[in-house]
Amino acid sequence: MPGNYGPLDDAHVFELYPGIQLNRDNIEHYRGLAQGRLTINRCHDCHHWIYPHRPMCPECWGWNVTPEEVSGEGKVFMFTLLYQLRDPKSMIHEPVPVAAVELAEQKGLRYLARMVDCAPEDITHDMPVRLTWLEEGDNLWPAFAPVPGGQR
Amino acid sequence: MGLNRHKDTIAVIGVGSTPYGRDLQSSHLSLGLEAATKAIRDAGIDKQQVDGICGSGMTPLAQGGAGFLSLQGSLGIERITWGLNSWLGGAFVHAAGAVAAGLCDTVLVVQTYMREISMSRSAAADPYRQKLQQFADIGSDIEGGDFAKRWLHSGEPYAAWMRRYMHDYGTNKDAFAYMAVNNRMHGSRNPAAVMQTPITLDDYHNSRMIWEPMQMLDMDVPVDCAEAHVITTAERARDLDVKPVYIHAMSLGGTRVGEFYENSLPWTENAHWVAAAGIKARSDIQVPDVDLLYPYDGYTIDAVGCVEAMGWCKPGECGDFLKSNWDPVDNILKLNGHTQVSTHGGGLALGRAGGANFYSEAVRQLRGNEGARQVAGAKSALINIGSFFHDPSAVMLRVD
Repeated sequence: MPGNYGPLDDAHVFELYPGIQLNRDNIEHYRGLAQGRLTINRCHDCHHWIYPHRPMCPECWGWNVTPEEVSGEGKVFMFTLLYQLRDPKSMIHEPVPVAAVELAEQKGLRYLARMVDCAPEDITHDMPVRLTWLEEGDNLWPAFAPVPGGQR
Repeated sequence: MGLNRHKDTIAVIGVGSTPYGRDLQSSHLSLGLEAATKAIRDAGIDKQQVDGICGSGMTPLAQGGAGFLSLQGSLGIERITWGLNSWLGGAFVHAAGAVAAGLCDTVLVVQTYMREISMSRSAAADPYRQKLQQFADIGSDIEGGDFAKRWLHSGEPYAAWMRRYMHDYGTNKDAFAYMAVNNRMHGSRNPAAVMQTPITLDDYHNSRMIWEPMQMLDMDVPVDCAEAHVITTAERARDLDVKPVYIHAMSLGGTRVGEFYENSLPWTENAHWVAAAGIKARSDIQVPDVDLLYPYDGYTIDAVGCVEAMGWCKPGECGDFLKSNWDPVDNILKLNGHTQVSTHGGGLALGRAGGANFYSEAVRQLRGNEGARQVAGAKSALINIGSFFHDPSAVMLRVD
């Protein structure tokens, strides 16, 4: 069952993500996803969050950068509803909501994911959302759902 | 901000375009060679005078494409002293920059585009286009299963920005709609355009939803085509039997957003504003004293970004601006009663060429030989190409 792993060695991460260009800058992020943890690189000198998975802090040029789990709280910065996918052969019957979620940890720190547990017409800019997980085959992927009773 | 050390010292002397079509049964290299030979013949120079080439795509060793190595070999150009592949607005600017830097004297720019399998079902069924995609230089694991990488070089964040723009400025889709109607009207007057029928505002609003709120008529039309330009020093240009079109000023731009588009900056800090600041600082000709405007329309929101970044109107006010600058007689935009916009129909009507056809049309208009489509007395043209996430450019062209 996805997410139910102990420590994962590199070989196992490679096996779980055959389509991802894994490298030494991003593998910890995927090791985290496999364990149901959304981690983002963080500079431990100046505490700046760094996304995408880059090895050096753009603020202080520190190299003391390691992934740290985020709270999973955020707000919808922008979103679109997909009526058509890149693969023209794939038909969608319901629009797929995609949101760039601004994570609570830092202004401008955003993570792209599907919106779930929410009718497409109910998604609004700046609405509070919380991390949840989608299970697909052997993988767990982050998604976001509205916070019940959340205030904009 | 850089100085303009090369004002009016570099000139466009040749233009070549292939026909535009949904399925020309051609290849990138074939299309590129057709445009290149037309452009070199148009300039009236011997091919061995070309000593710099800017090809298409991003990988020098790409096979079967119109990269600079393939172009040089195919054209039989013995020696070049400068070569690069590029795209969008940057290709033209890098090439002109190489002449300005003295790394070559006469540069050929070739930009090819083909309808890709992700763009239509019929394209997806074409075995040649499948092969093209199989060996394409994607350069990342966009399709590798991680949804969070979905917006790497994707159109979807442009759709999300349309909504954010309307939300932030409390406006509607007027800006996008008027741009689309303008370009399709110009396209209906351009025999080369793939889309020959004009559209109404209702047609725009009723078009198929793709990525809400982006609709079909917000998107450029995927086609097979190529554009080529020959650029040299103004001094050499004046010895030739062509009317030189001078590069008065140019600029590029970039921001710290990088390749993950969801991290984009606020609207007025995006890359178009950087390129716009560059051209404003370097050009003697300023908005609104420009005769012709060519804002890139890969998506209508790009064109809106170009217009606002250049200061034709205030941020968020493009809808009202275009509406109040609509000429009801000709059914096109005439900014401040004067400046015509995307006179060839742009990507929305002529077809998708990464903005390369905007340069071609501007040069032809400034030469003054566009026949029935000629804008009388056009002496200057502003071309804003590129994305508000990456590779924006601004180029001011002029004639004497």
